[in-house]
Amino acid sequence: MLTHKKYTREHRGTVGRIESDNPRMTCRSVDVFYGDKQAIIDVSIDIGRNEVIAMIGPSGCGKSTFLRCLNRMNDTIATCRVTGDIRLDDLDIYDKNIDVVPLRAQVGMVFQKPNPFPKSIYDNIAYGPRIHGLVSNKPEEDEIVETSLKKAGLWEEVKDRLNQPGTSLSGGQQQRLCIARTIAVSPEVILMDEPCSALDPIATATIEGLIDELREHYTIAIVTHSMQQAARVSQRTAYFHLGDLIEVGETKKIFTNPQHELTEDYITGRFG
Amino acid sequence: MLNKTRVSVLGILLLTLAAGVPQAEARDYITVVGSSTVYPFATVVAEQFGKTTKFKTPKIEATGSGGGLKLFCSGVGVEFPDMTNASRRIKKSEVEQCDKNGVKDIIEIKIGYDGIVLANSKKVEHLHFTRKEIFLALAKEVPDPKGGTSLIPNPYRKWSEINPELPGTKIEVLGPPPTSGTRDAFMELVMETGAEGFDWIKALAKSDKQQFKEIAHTMREDGLFVEAGENDNLIVQKLAVNPDAVGIFGFSFLDQNTDKMQGAFVDGVEPTFEAIAEGQYPVSRPLYMYVKKAHAGVIPGIKEFLNEFTSEKAWGEDGYLADKGMIPMPDEERAAFREDVQKLKTLTLK
Amino acid sequence: MNNPDIKQSREAEPQYPRAIDIVNRGLAKRYGKEQRFKIYGLTAVVLSLSFLALLFFTIFSNGYSAFFQTFVKLEVFFDPAFIDTDDPANSNFPGLVKKTLRDEFPEVKTRKEKKELYSLISSGAAFQLQKMIQQQPDLAGRTVTIRVPADDDVDMLNKGNITRDVPESDRRINDRQLAWIDKWAHEGKITKRFNTAFFTSGDSREPELAGILGALVGSILTLTLTLLLSFPVGVASAVYLEEFAPRNRWVDIVEVNINNLAAVPSIVFGLLGLAVFINFFHMPRSAPLVGGLVLTLMTLPVIIIASRVSLQSVPPSIREAALGIGASKMQTVLHHVLPLALPGMLTGTIIGIARALGETAPLLMIGMVAFIVDIPSGFTDPATALPVQIFLWADSPERGFVERTSAAIIVLLALLVVINSLAVILRNRFERRW
Repeated sequence: MLTHKKYTREHRGTVGRIESDNPRMTCRSVDVFYGDKQAIIDVSIDIGRNEVIAMIGPSGCGKSTFLRCLNRMNDTIATCRVTGDIRLDDLDIYDKNIDVVPLRAQVGMVFQKPNPFPKSIYDNIAYGPRIHGLVSNKPEEDEIVETSLKKAGLWEEVKDRLNQPGTSLSGGQQQRLCIARTIAVSPEVILMDEPCSALDPIATATIEGLIDELREHYTIAIVTHSMQQAARVSQRTAYFHLGDLIEVGETKKIFTNPQHELTEDYITGRFG
Repeated sequence: MLNKTRVSVLGILLLTLAAGVPQAEARDYITVVGSSTVYPFATVVAEQFGKTTKFKTPKIEATGSGGGLKLFCSGVGVEFPDMTNASRRIKKSEVEQCDKNGVKDIIEIKIGYDGIVLANSKKVEHLHFTRKEIFLALAKEVPDPKGGTSLIPNPYRKWSEINPELPGTKIEVLGPPPTSGTRDAFMELVMETGAEGFDWIKALAKSDKQQFKEIAHTMREDGLFVEAGENDNLIVQKLAVNPDAVGIFGFSFLDQNTDKMQGAFVDGVEPTFEAIAEGQYPVSRPLYMYVKKAHAGVIPGIKEFLNEFTSEKAWGEDGYLADKGMIPMPDEERAAFREDVQKLKTLTLK
Repeated sequence: MNNPDIKQSREAEPQYPRAIDIVNRGLAKRYGKEQRFKIYGLTAVVLSLSFLALLFFTIFSNGYSAFFQTFVKLEVFFDPAFIDTDDPANSNFPGLVKKTLRDEFPEVKTRKEKKELYSLISSGAAFQLQKMIQQQPDLAGRTVTIRVPADDDVDMLNKGNITRDVPESDRRINDRQLAWIDKWAHEGKITKRFNTAFFTSGDSREPELAGILGALVGSILTLTLTLLLSFPVGVASAVYLEEFAPRNRWVDIVEVNINNLAAVPSIVFGLLGLAVFINFFHMPRSAPLVGGLVLTLMTLPVIIIASRVSLQSVPPSIREAALGIGASKMQTVLHHVLPLALPGMLTGTIIGIARALGETAPLLMIGMVAFIVDIPSGFTDPATALPVQIFLWADSPERGFVERTSAAIIVLLALLVVINSLAVILRNRFERRW
């Protein structure tokens, strides 16, 4: 095994095992461009079933960009171009015939800043099932709202005020509401883009606990700038640097015994 | 939900449009366009007609004499006006235009006279002008007072500089803008005649019409003549607060404001109802109405409306049009035109 | 701070000015600046408010009197001689009015005097009698006391707008007429009452009969059409341009042109309307249909620009939230973006409609500046609009129209207030829609 491989532009190979034994999503040779600027360079990685994979790296390393490729959220940016192969259970999600609407129902997303709709708590949850036709009557809707909120650990706090606006909740509650909203449409993969960056430590701890519980049912990819958080919630970790995927591996190994010099520098706090 | 609203709004739209267009094919009211000078008189007749007969009240637009004739001559059919008013006679070119668009038979009705007055506030003395003096006060360039046939920029700043008998106040005249029929008539009846007061300019009128018009029709632009807009009421109000100013407007406005305004004598004649009616007051013009013969009988009420207009209670000496300030024609002239109207006699240009 | 070197150097050079002293020295000047700026601002606000107050004061002081009208009490004997038994509505009502007046003042004999006497009562009196007979045909042969509107000159005299102390020849009411009026006044027959006719009738050349209703209905019809057309079209265009249109040169050209259109003088839209709707589509002249279409063209750019701005101000996180759970673009826009942008769109629309309400110039070209007595009952009936009515009255020679012009302006202002409050109510409702 190589030790402390030097990072050069010429040699971009990712250190560590990119494959997963039981992959849910497979990404191969993914390049992302914003206009002329290349933001992601030849990234290949698997995301395993029922695992939490953390993507870490310094600001501007492309980790969020990569995450947004996984449910084609980058489509909304006019200048953004994605090449390579990203598959969800053998389905090429960048195929011409793929409809992003069902894709995003399958691959849900939670954003950096809690962004509940300016509607009631109830409607925030029920909206997704409604537009996808997952519910056909009020009792079904009630049930899905209740189970989603329970899964997100918010039910006890809000069950008496479901008609109040979602925006009236605290930041941590709002983010859990957004998670509940995402799981209400029964996705298979949940993408989380720095979900705790706007939250205080207590709310963060609640969300981290929640992620751990959700792992049972969902595959979760989480982008975080906090190494401690990555260490706490994830099984595998991917380290990005300037658009390159430097190293992938089991979280424990990455944090105790990084193979790449850059990874080590980052996790030991020499930069980042 | 929003979708449904959107669809229903679009539906309403289409319905209104669908309902609107076919209705243009029939019209049960008379439409009149034309001169804003005739407008206050034509509207009174229209209102009277609408309230006393079973017909709808005619619609009257003030488009100006030229604009009215242009619309009038655009064609025959319900979308074109039935009549137009004019504060001047129809021109040969306009008759030809009418003819080209199929408007062949036109009935011409002279309805009365309108006087143009120069008035000032009652607070100061009554003014007496000759037209030559008015020309000297208002033209941009005037003949050199030292004699000869050269023009100099208007040097007069006070009335008394033109004629020592006139008051020693600053010349300040509020008048209509060039778009107004009143201005046209004023140019023709006052400025041209005033300019002809100089023999060599009068000679020009025959030899070089172009240059004559330039002399007579160019108003001074040094701020002593102010174009006060089409609103004659505004001129009256300005005159009331500025006793030194003189205003130019239609007689009907003087008639309504006799407690505040007095009309200046022009060439020794005061603008009174009688003086204008008898043709003594020099600054008056005839008012006309033109009717499409082809529309009579198609649009309901045209004959009846003309009947009302030419009845003694309307345009007679004691008629309601006279109350509104229109100057009636002499008896014989009225009788002749009424007969023409009864027979729907059409216009032939000599 | 604990560095002993710094401490020493400070003590060694006590004359060296401390930063806080410099700050303190400048404070007075800074606050002075702030104070002055506040005063400037306050002066500007007070100045603009006082101009507004002055405008309102002049308009109200000129116009309020038009809401009252002088009436004369007359005892009318419905003389069967004047009533046509077969067709009572077609009787000689002016004759009946004249006879009633002659009975009031039997001493009036000469033709001239009679004419002066008749002119004290509005020609509307005859129409009033006509209406009474139509409603109660059995009035023939009975005597009824009714109030009829006085002529506008009498009305002006009663309101003090015609002075008595000028020489008789300079008054529109002569001494003889004054005596009759004074006799009526002495008998308590002259009353000033609320002028309902002003709100219930159309235009008239007689100030005492002229009303605002025709113009009001015309304005409402025109603006209803304008609103129905311009709001959906404007919002749809804004949504397309902002949310769906590809970013390319054509869209840029469209954008620039919309901005240019918003600055085009309104008369140009009138000319366009004349050429397209009337001359090409042969729509009727003077109709609210065409007026509404022309004002729609004029209002559209304003609504599109305002709507785009309010769409842009919707936070992108809302779009991401909806897209992230699999809403389609259309659903994202309709369910989330549009409701949030709607208050801003409504504000833009109200501004556009308010501008359209006050517009005269484009209506001139399409024949809505006209004398129209009958109240329009549909989109194709000839109609005028409120500002046109103000324009027409302001240009009428009769003295009575001066106060009616101001009164019409008051009505227009009231309408604006209503529209604006409606906008505020609507906006609040939409904003509270969670």
